Amino acid sequence: MAAQALAVAASHDGYSAIAFPFFGAERRGAPVLAFTRFGEERLRVRTQVYEPHFVVVLDESLVETVDVLAGLRPGGMVIVNTTRAPDRLVLSKKAKSATVDATTIALKHTKQAAVNTAMLGAFAKATGLITLEGVEAGIMEVFGRRLSKEIADRNVAAARAAYEATRLGEGDSGRVYAKATKWLPTAQELPPGLATPPMETPFGRVGVGSSPSNLTGGWRVNKPVLDGAECTNCLLCWFYCPDGSITRGEKIVEIHYEYCKGCGICAAVCAPKAIHMEREIEEEVKA
Amino acid sequence: MTTVKDLPREDYFLSGHTACPGCGGAMVVREVMKVLGPNTVVYMPASCLLIFSDMYPYNAFKVPSLQILFETSAIAAAGVKRALKRLGKDDTTVVAFAGDGGTADIGMQALSGAAERNEDILYVCYDNEAYMNTGIQRSGTTPFGAWTTTTPLGSTSEGQGKNEFKKDVPRILMAHDVPYVATASLGFPADFLKKVDKAKAKKGFRYLHVLAPCPVGWRAESDSTVDLAKLAVETGIFTLLEYEDGVLTLNREPRFTPVREYLKLQGRFKHLSEGQIASIERWVKDKWERDRALAKALGPKPKVPVAIVR
Ligand SMILES: Cc1ncc(C[n+]2csc(CCOP(=O)(O)OP(=O)(O)O)c2C)c(N)n1
Ligand code: SF4
Ligand code: SF4
Ligand SMILES: [Mg+2]
Repeated sequence: MAAQALAVAASHDGYSAIAFPFFGAERRGAPVLAFTRFGEERLRVRTQVYEPHFVVVLDESLVETVDVLAGLRPGGMVIVNTTRAPDRLVLSKKAKSATVDATTIALKHTKQAAVNTAMLGAFAKATGLITLEGVEAGIMEVFGRRLSKEIADRNVAAARAAYEATRLGEGDSGRVYAKATKWLPTAQELPPGLATPPMETPFGRVGVGSSPSNLTGGWRVNKPVLDGAECTNCLLCWFYCPDGSITRGEKIVEIHYEYCKGCGICAAVCAPKAIHMEREIEEEVKA
Repeated sequence: MTTVKDLPREDYFLSGHTACPGCGGAMVVREVMKVLGPNTVVYMPASCLLIFSDMYPYNAFKVPSLQILFETSAIAAAGVKRALKRLGKDDTTVVAFAGDGGTADIGMQALSGAAERNEDILYVCYDNEAYMNTGIQRSGTTPFGAWTTTTPLGSTSEGQGKNEFKKDVPRILMAHDVPYVATASLGFPADFLKKVDKAKAKKGFRYLHVLAPCPVGWRAESDSTVDLAKLAVETGIFTLLEYEDGVLTLNREPRFTPVREYLKLQGRFKHLSEGQIASIERWVKDKWERDRALAKALGPKPKVPVAIVR
């Protein structure tokens, strides 16, 4: 929706613009891609954007696993949601960077960790191509119509706050990315049958029972923390955790973080309140 | 009888799946699989479950799973069971996990056929009350008043959403007189596990309908899934029942908590007018009275001798 709001913002400011999501299954919190293209001339290219001028990264943890500069045009800029200053970003090469702590801003204004609208404010500030009024028009049009005026207002407030808080600088080089980490066998490589059989590959286990190869802990915004002294070992958190992130012990349960998506259910079902949720911040660098 | 404490540590639906945080559907599948155990084959139609459990080349089931078409759950599972039986593996449980769209609407004819033939499978519908995987479209089980992308709000800010009441799928299955039909809610673990146990142990066609709150489609907080599942029962909106050998039992008399307590936690009901809320209150009362009357009326099935010609 934010890519769409950006396109509306651009058209409000007199550009012609187009936006579309990456086609595929989306899950809340899972990494997704969306594209916006705008310019002064009529747009005739309708493909995904492979060589962007700007890359907006909504979740800082992606920088660790994906080379967000791949395809970026010379002189292009990356805009990241992080508590870090732009100069503290470590990327695959030096690049113009802008940063803003959009998660804190979004939590404050919208009570949710949906940072996309705040990042539109950051985009306006960092690029100077779109006005803040344009961004507001975009949010009103896209969010106001589909959700409610009240929600749209809160998102506009988040965009404004992010506009003010965005810092510009240059990200550093030095991060090395592993080559493709996913292995996709071709039909010829697979034995006949309906399911992919369990197999060990250089990239981990695949096939039946292999989903643990896919760490989902990076989706998390808040993390559950257990106070062992309060745990009565009722096992409700263990029963309910949709991601199997809690194990049972003899006296108390234990929380693991590789797969925990931070849904907060374990804390909600814990009668003695032995589990609470905490905002997870990797490194605090306030300007 | 399985209680939470005696459930095995072992999971057969594993971490690393890509369901949204707080997904009720993922909880249902994880718990049912804990009870069913390793000697199980899973069928899934197109649904959120298929997408979040089977992301090629990864798969979250520790047992064989397959998928054919959206509308084929019951018949595909039945085919697998017949084949296993032929191979001398009649002890293997075959389970189909389907969404409400795949059950109440598009999978209905295959479901009805398999139920009528009393195929030896367990069919679990995880009911998140809309077609979630394709972006929240209404299904037959979407409740009255709920917003979905295909039951939009009116031009005024109040009112509208879905105009029809929820389709009563368990009652349709009861009409097939299969050995076991039950509803369950994540909010009542003991009742839920008891029903999965029973369903696992029986032969013939078994149907479980489990309410599976979806934080995304219901526009609710990701930590409210269990609360919602409880409130749905306590308000009387979702009835816990069991139909076994012709006898219908209502497992819990609701506390009749005001329906507003349930509705207010969900953005999909935010627009409801006072008139619509009154209709829901009325519907809840009527439904309970009718379910009670039905439970009274349905006694044990008389034993009718059947002449089998082979
Ligand atoms: C014949 C057919 N029609 C439509 C689709 C597209 N489709 C895939 S998943 C889905 C929604 C499934 O809804 P539901 O059964 O309620 O499961 P949920 O995603 O809500 O868990 C649809 C419409 C399809 N795959 N096949
Ligand atoms: S927050 Fe709790 S319930 Fe949710 S995934 Fe993490 S450990 Fe599981
Ligand atoms: S959309 Fe709903 S049902 Fe589908 S994975 Fe997300 S929470 Fe689960
Ligand atoms: Mg559904």
